[in-house]
Amino acid sequence: MEIELRICHMYPDLLNLYGDRGNVLSLIRRAQLRGIKVKLVPVSIGDDFDEKDFDIVFLGGGQDAEQNVIRRDFVEEKGPKVKSAIENGMVFLCICGGYQMLGKYYQEHDGTRIECLGAIDVYTVGEDVRYIQDTVYEADFLKIPGQKDSAILYGFENHSGRTYLGPSVKPMAKVIEGAGNNGKDGYEGAVYNNVYCTYSHGSFLPKNPRMTDHLLSLALKRRYGEDYELPPLDTEGEDFARSALLKYKEKGNTAP
Amino acid sequence: MGALSFHVAVFAAKCTKLGLRVLGRGATTLPGKVAAKIDPDILKRLCDGQDCVTITGTNGKTTTTHMITDIFRNCGYTVITNVSGANLLSGVATSMIFGMKDMKKAKKEGKKVICVLETDEAAYGKIACQIRPKVSVVTNLFRDQLDRFGELAHTRDLIAKGLDSCDADILLNSDDSLVSELYKGREGRTCFYGLSEESMHYNNVTYPNRSGVLPASSDAEYCTGCKTKYTYTARSFGHLGAFACEKCGKKRMPPRFFVKYDLAKNPSDEGYELSLLDAGEGRTEKSSGSSSSGETAALLEKRVKLPIPGMHNFYNSISAVAACVRMGEKIGDPEGLSFARCASALEHVEAAFGRMEKIAIGDKKICVLLVKNPVGLDRALSFVAGASDADGIYMLLNSNIADGKDVSWIWDVDFESKEFPEKVYVSGDRYGDMMLRILYSGVERERIIARPMEECADLLDQAISDSTTGKCLYILPNYTSMLALRSILVKRYHLKDFWK
Repeated sequence: MEIELRICHMYPDLLNLYGDRGNVLSLIRRAQLRGIKVKLVPVSIGDDFDEKDFDIVFLGGGQDAEQNVIRRDFVEEKGPKVKSAIENGMVFLCICGGYQMLGKYYQEHDGTRIECLGAIDVYTVGEDVRYIQDTVYEADFLKIPGQKDSAILYGFENHSGRTYLGPSVKPMAKVIEGAGNNGKDGYEGAVYNNVYCTYSHGSFLPKNPRMTDHLLSLALKRRYGEDYELPPLDTEGEDFARSALLKYKEKGNTAP
Repeated sequence: MGALSFHVAVFAAKCTKLGLRVLGRGATTLPGKVAAKIDPDILKRLCDGQDCVTITGTNGKTTTTHMITDIFRNCGYTVITNVSGANLLSGVATSMIFGMKDMKKAKKEGKKVICVLETDEAAYGKIACQIRPKVSVVTNLFRDQLDRFGELAHTRDLIAKGLDSCDADILLNSDDSLVSELYKGREGRTCFYGLSEESMHYNNVTYPNRSGVLPASSDAEYCTGCKTKYTYTARSFGHLGAFACEKCGKKRMPPRFFVKYDLAKNPSDEGYELSLLDAGEGRTEKSSGSSSSGETAALLEKRVKLPIPGMHNFYNSISAVAACVRMGEKIGDPEGLSFARCASALEHVEAAFGRMEKIAIGDKKICVLLVKNPVGLDRALSFVAGASDADGIYMLLNSNIADGKDVSWIWDVDFESKEFPEKVYVSGDRYGDMMLRILYSGVERERIIARPMEECADLLDQAISDSTTGKCLYILPNYTSMLALRSILVKRYHLKDFWK
């Protein structure tokens, strides 16, 4: 049987900051190398979103001006359909601005509240100090007993918003290095049903192939049944990059 | 009081330079910084009465500054200019202070002086009122270390502030929707340059031939006024092209100065020929041949061979010629700085280090292309993909503060559509990130040799020795890795460090 993965890339022309595009490339690559047929569909302003057409949805972050352009389309036009997809267990990966937009509201520095989708029980408060740094997290759902590295996620954060989670939402990972959701509670990202949200930009999935596989597996099990098993695929290239990153961190980066 | 503090400031700057020299250090910004501490109006005083050209924007500033400088010099002018990168108030002031000697000498010899100043796009808003340029060039607005400046629209507003604080003639890139809208409210003193529409192609269609998986992340797909998606009839690269907003009618303005070239030819080739055109004062590409009064004017055309190849240099070239011609019109030397003379002078411009210069190493060749941001990397990869002499590529990625700490931008670039040379070498502090980026674009793991920064010199030896005689190794470093590379070339390969 030919296995197919249908990726919805939401607002690729607007939400494409800090290399978020790399996440889509990762999903495509690790699916295609397994012989899975990939269909990539960009869905932007004015385009219809129908959950029947997709197995996984990617929503990235954008510059503020661009996020304002899409907010109306996302919240008002696509909102009800996106909410229902989430309730039905559709797999989502949302980064930074995309993460914030799924939440209830974004409160700006001056106190103005921008209503967001409210699909997941989180809210965000903008503050002056921006968190810009390499990050390391630990995600329990990726843990393989006896493999210390398996649950470690590498990322890079760049956000001034502080996100707080309500009781129906679980954090995605524990923060080992970096600020995470709000710099206070030691957690990063959010998980609700099959929705995964993180502040980790750019090369998040490329450097975390087990996370990529986790999302692929969820999406394909949902489509082809719980018996579906993702064929094995090595992580040699990705692990090389991870160990290079570790060396770079150990060396300390103090040069101007 | 003012004059006294000025002299004290200049004296302090000279002492600072002397001190730095004794320490064996370069003095491109600190003397100006010291001087500005003593006399906050130092730059204003230094530029008072001078004929200044400023160059600002995110990409192509250094090359354009370099081209303008060479054109003026070739036309007999004495030029005061700043060192690449020293483009904040401190750097500009330093160059002006130490240029005073040349100015005096020029005056004695009866030569005219022009100051050609590269200015940081975020600093322009503050320093334009001090420089008070006669001509101001805005190159383009692409994402560049967003963690530092925040937003492109914000950067554009800073430039607008600078333009409003002086009465310079403004030269804008007609093909950049973010830049060209700066003409609003400044119509009388704005003039456009760009590529002729028929010379644009859709990115990744003509060169290279491969199609990508995902389009590159673009910077300005939507109209900044009414938030409608632009339609394009043609594109050169990135968001540059013949854009139009169907809702509010905003569209590309026809340029007075423009480039025409043959789409069937490969801009990666050396000795690539193109046409530079000038529709004449008050006219454009579209209105050439006749003016509102009905009188006809000849469209000036000059065929030139560009010494610095690559399509992005078409923009740098035409803007440089435009700046010199406008300056000639403004200071009353339209003959000395005629379009034909300026365009010819362009042919003698030499590449700056890291900007496409080919260097012979024994019987091998290397070519260094500095890449600092997504569009620069896209252009460089596209250039290498089209270069018939490329048999190796060596990419170096650091993430020091001067580079931007965030390297995620490499994922914004469309590597997937670019053909890589057979041999691929990778180094820099973030060699793992870059290796992974290349791997994910489809290059086989066996073809990529990746080594940490500490081994980058040895890897360079290997890459050069692996390279075939007569072929070229293309090296793409980012900023601090380029500085490291330069010193390796000087030490190991005994290349003279003549790059300033």
